[in-house]
Amino acid sequence: MTNNRYEEVAQLSQLPVGKTLCVERSGREILLCRTQEGVFAVDNLCTHAAARLCEGRLKGQRIVCPLHGAAFDVRDGSALTAPAVQALGCYAVNVEGDSIQLALPGETL
Amino acid sequence: MNQQKPSPGLSRARGPSVADTLAADRVAPPGPLLEESYAFLGDADIPCSRYTSRQFADREFDRLWSKCWQWACREEHLQEVGDNYVYDIGPYSVIVVRTATQRIEAFVNSCTHRGTRLLGGEGCGYSRAFSCPFHGWSWSLDGQLRDLPGRWDFPHVDDTSHNLRQVQCERWGGFVFINLDPEARPLGEYLEVLPEHFRHFPLDRRRIRTHVQKVLPANWKAAQEAFMEAYHNFATHDAPNGANTQYDLFGKYVSRFIHNIGSYSAESLHDYPGDKWRAPPLSENQMLQMLSVFGLAHDEVPPGESARSIAAEDLRARLGEAWGVDLSDVSDSLMLDSIEYHLFPNMFFFCGITVPMVYRFRPNGEDVDSSLFDVLILEPLPEGAAHPEPPEPVKLSVEQSYAEAEGLGWLGPVYDEDTGNLLLQQQGLKASRKAGITLGNYQEARIRRVHLTLDEFLAENKRDQ
Repeated sequence: MTNNRYEEVAQLSQLPVGKTLCVERSGREILLCRTQEGVFAVDNLCTHAAARLCEGRLKGQRIVCPLHGAAFDVRDGSALTAPAVQALGCYAVNVEGDSIQLALPGETL
Repeated sequence: MNQQKPSPGLSRARGPSVADTLAADRVAPPGPLLEESYAFLGDADIPCSRYTSRQFADREFDRLWSKCWQWACREEHLQEVGDNYVYDIGPYSVIVVRTATQRIEAFVNSCTHRGTRLLGGEGCGYSRAFSCPFHGWSWSLDGQLRDLPGRWDFPHVDDTSHNLRQVQCERWGGFVFINLDPEARPLGEYLEVLPEHFRHFPLDRRRIRTHVQKVLPANWKAAQEAFMEAYHNFATHDAPNGANTQYDLFGKYVSRFIHNIGSYSAESLHDYPGDKWRAPPLSENQMLQMLSVFGLAHDEVPPGESARSIAAEDLRARLGEAWGVDLSDVSDSLMLDSIEYHLFPNMFFFCGITVPMVYRFRPNGEDVDSSLFDVLILEPLPEGAAHPEPPEPVKLSVEQSYAEAEGLGWLGPVYDEDTGNLLLQQQGLKASRKAGITLGNYQEARIRRVHLTLDEFLAENKRDQ
């Protein structure tokens, strides 16, 4: 992780605690999630039926899909409730001052 | 030689009563705390099988849990339209959902096609509409059937026949209650004195600071009964005060104890083993030392003052400033005492400021021998402030200690001591060669009240079969 190259994708001031922000990297939608524990980045599309998680809600450390209510832990992408069974991809995040940075494509955690 | 025995239930511990302590407080309590309401309910043993029998637990699911009011969540869990909360009770599952800005409704968490559970998890969630993951039937938030893939094959399904099944849903004190019985009487009839009493200490103007949910190693009734009396304080918690706690029965559904903190009576322990706290009794400074777990400014009681009044004063200042609320007129009793209202069958509401919990006990799934214990710490909100997003519950397994849950502070070790007893009690209830448990006439009357009301539920609904 320490060898990753990071690129700024958003400002921390754009992203209050408890909220999410969808950004695009190389044609892939990535969801930034800010919880009490920090900023995390996961794929924006639900692994169950590909609904956009940015239209769902962040509840604590869980992102909840608006379509069928599947929940994922944003810290490691793991699927927590049915109907989802596959984890979301998740990405290394670096926060420097107001800058939220993502690892470059291909360098997933 | 034989002294005449008083009528059962009329004896009390020696020394000042709760009413005496409250009358001596510097800042007087609101009226409801001065009320006393007790009646002798009998002294027959309660069968051990009520705590251990599979058949008894099944009757409770059929005739109690499917028929009684119970709080599912707080309104603050449902802040925006589409926010939902899944509440499971034994085999049943209910979705509580905010369907409009001012409207909260509840539905059975089961597809009207082939019965699949719609929302998998328990607790807070969100969805724009409800959709079954099995065949994709979907409903709007208010439960109306919206989409039915391959409708041509279902000419027997019309626009209203397959809506989600509505569950009764009402609100009180910032809590959302559900009742699975479509014929249930309104919640208001069930709350008895609670609305009038809690007018003085409104729970809707509090927010969840901490929520811990733990599996306890005992039947849900044994678990909650450990929290209905202060008789165990001496042996379990090595605490001096508890013997002169006041117990009130307000009706079939609501009971209360008021357990003074910061004062005790040495005489109340006159027939307890040993001399501890009796000879010599605790000094006011020693009492203040015991209260230091609350975080006090004083470490010594000034001449002419009492530990109780000094602690109340310190806490008014410290907590009022920390929370941005004015506590200057709050009585000593509300500041300090453990004032616990119980609502049948399984809900506890504390109205105090320093002891501000809410408890809920329910079966752990359908297991007879374990239960789920939710503890919420409710903190007063400044006037006009909106409720923040509530914290997610910290979930503890049966083996984990409360010390692992942040935010419980001094309560953690107390709950661990209670949990230790529960494992032994559930084991002992099974081993017992005595048919029933025995209850004190006064100190354990609230427990008997719950069993009597439970009997009414179990019998009442028999008629329906």
